[in-house]
Amino acid sequence: MSTSSYLTISIILFSIGTIGFVVRRNAIVVFMCVELMLNAVNLAFVAFARHHGSLEGEAAVFFVMVVAAAEAAVGLAIIIAVFRNHRSIETSDADHLRL
Amino acid sequence: MNIFFILLSAIALSSALGVILMRNPIHSALCLIVNLVAIAGYFALLNAHFLALVQIIVYAGAIMVLVVFVLMLLNSKLEEQKSAGLFMLVVSSVFAVMFIVHMSKIYGAEFSTSGVASASLQGTVANLGRVLFTQYVFSFEASAVLLMAAIVGAAMLAKTTPERPRGDGERV
Repeated sequence: MSTSSYLTISIILFSIGTIGFVVRRNAIVVFMCVELMLNAVNLAFVAFARHHGSLEGEAAVFFVMVVAAAEAAVGLAIIIAVFRNHRSIETSDADHLRL
Repeated sequence: MNIFFILLSAIALSSALGVILMRNPIHSALCLIVNLVAIAGYFALLNAHFLALVQIIVYAGAIMVLVVFVLMLLNSKLEEQKSAGLFMLVVSSVFAVMFIVHMSKIYGAEFSTSGVASASLQGTVANLGRVLFTQYVFSFEASAVLLMAAIVGAAMLAKTTPERPRGDGERV
């Protein structure tokens, strides 16, 4: 398959993740949409790595996975802390920093 | 090869739509797991064997287990049915379609081939490990420190403070 077909899939997945990030109000679903976007970018990285015949893109994917794992741990801990204070994980309920 | 790509594309796109369309967050999480496994299939098609396995073990295994665990622990109610986000849905869909069309035009012509067909390039454990431990060794060690900091930070954020009594439903 050509590289552009992988890139098209990657772009569509990224857009779906963006729409979900904007539209959904459950904080964990918003978090999962971020994971969807990260995976779309990973797919583009691997497709470019094959296109250019180098492994550096795959190394970048490895580091993206590391950062995503760290982000998952800290993000879910923050969601638990917010839930403990607000009894809700709706993103619109955590607006106490709003002026 | 072609039939696998079409099959994986159907699975990946429909499960990605399932993530944002399902009302129940648990169903969204299950759709996301299917999507991650489909992306692991893409990695296998692209000769990135190590990343395909790591995608399944780390993403679909560890991270999604963590997400589902927190989701069931908090046991949040289903997302309410009111269409407060309809305006945002329309606006973001319009921008998403514009983004897809624009990027497809950019990439469609330039990357219409499958690139340099080097049979030696395989993303196996040995090849990728050689890159990670020579060219990117500093980043590799830094990511170890990052993971350590994430563990400590998550434990600190999620632990309860025994001094302060927990209010039942009251806002602080």
